Amino acid sequence: MKVTVVSRSGREVVKGGIELSDSATVADLQEAIHKRTKKYPSRQRLTLPVQPGSKERPVVLNYKKSLKDYTIGNSETLTVVFKDLGPQVSYRTLFFCEYLGPLLLYPVFYYLPVYQYFGYKGERVIHPVQTYALYYWCFHYAKRILETFFVHCFSHATSPLSNVFRNCAYYWTFGSYIAYYVNHPLYTPVNDLQMKIGFGFGILCQISNFYCHIILKNLRSPGGEGGYQIPRGFLFNIVTCANYTTEIYQWLGFNIATQTVAGYIFLVVATFIMTNWALAKHRRLKKLFDGKEGRPRYPRRWVILPPFL
Amino acid sequence: MAGFFSLLRRLYLSLYNWTVLFGWCQVLYFVLKTLNESGHQHVYSAAEKPLHYAQSAAVLEILHGLVGLVRSPVTATLPQISSRLFLVWGILWSFPETRSHVLVTSLLISWSITEIIRYSFFGFKETFGFTPSWLLWLRYSSFLVLYPTGISSEVGLIYIALPFIKASGKYCIRMPNKWNSSFDYFYAAIVAMGIYVPGSPHLYTYMLAQRKKALSKSKRE
Repeated sequence: MKVTVVSRSGREVVKGGIELSDSATVADLQEAIHKRTKKYPSRQRLTLPVQPGSKERPVVLNYKKSLKDYTIGNSETLTVVFKDLGPQVSYRTLFFCEYLGPLLLYPVFYYLPVYQYFGYKGERVIHPVQTYALYYWCFHYAKRILETFFVHCFSHATSPLSNVFRNCAYYWTFGSYIAYYVNHPLYTPVNDLQMKIGFGFGILCQISNFYCHIILKNLRSPGGEGGYQIPRGFLFNIVTCANYTTEIYQWLGFNIATQTVAGYIFLVVATFIMTNWALAKHRRLKKLFDGKEGRPRYPRRWVILPPFL
Repeated sequence: MAGFFSLLRRLYLSLYNWTVLFGWCQVLYFVLKTLNESGHQHVYSAAEKPLHYAQSAAVLEILHGLVGLVRSPVTATLPQISSRLFLVWGILWSFPETRSHVLVTSLLISWSITEIIRYSFFGFKETFGFTPSWLLWLRYSSFLVLYPTGISSEVGLIYIALPFIKASGKYCIRMPNKWNSSFDYFYAAIVAMGIYVPGSPHLYTYMLAQRKKALSKSKRE
């Protein structure tokens, strides 16, 4: 089989095309392109050509499929459009980097005399709530890192390198911002009861969040195949994205206990981001599981924040 | 019914555009008149009232974009109007010491000419459904000169205001407080100046792209 590889502007990416066996898969094609262009498979986006002026979305080639699936009739030739996605990193790497920052930066404000450089001389009195906040915070991000390596299953997909900088900027900046105010020499603690309620509720939500992630992990079939399934069990019976729900509520708990504007700003931003993800996922699941052609019907559920949404 | 709302929309937008245009004409008139009569030190006090009305009315444009009355993206409108409101209320209104500076003159001249052209353009468009070609050309060419002068004046005035901001302690929230929050207007102003560094080239290239699009379209027609 002869495969012609072109760029979106029509330029030939691989001179003379690539000759492959009839049983070759898309992955084989990607390896062949890698040999000829140095663009490794995860940064290749291969699609079928679209007629000029057509508004159809191009078909993206699935690396597991046979090339024969994409040919018309018994044709011995195939043309694919190549796009370079740029440097890629695994999601594990991405998540580790973004979570390591908050885990290391927060203790800096607690343990080290950084407030001298902000103009606050003299001894800093540490309130119990500040110590518990440190434990809570480090537990949270340590949990996330451990989940990244031992709980979460990642699909074949990778993430652009630029996302590492964007996501790290987000997590590290907010982490430092919150740490600055919670550990501040002029920090005003809330009363004991409010602290207990906040941290207690927050810990409960963190543990629930962990359990939600276990449920999601077990959703993947033993073979590690892709594809969507309806999450069931625990809070997923009520909310489509129960993992996001528990994530939001655990930050709410933290904020109730520590009471900083910085923390609440982070909560609002995080809620906004996760709500968008949840809406997209909810929409996708309802579309996939519409109760037709033998498919199960997606049950009625809240999206992310009952009783509001 | 749809026709009625469409008519109502055009009527409202026409009224809005011509009214704000009048405001900016007043600003320019008072600036030039005062410049001619008594010098740049008094430009601000002469133009203050129409400036406040005209610039603050621009907030409505953000609403227009959000509601869908006009097609301009809020991401383009919001930063520009925010920076101007910051200058008008956050710097000039809040710190009288800045008002007599010569940069106020260059600021107000740049702004008012830009806005007169822009609101005339929109006024014609909404009222008559077309725009004269000379106005279209002005709309998409005058920014080449006026944006640099306007932006330079904005940054310059923020810079000049910094010592007064620091000395006054205005708009600051200090700890300790129940919500464990603090805000320092002095550093916020420095951050605002910093935002101009990536913001200005972005706005300029956006306008250049708009220019290419608009003028090539008119050439084709």
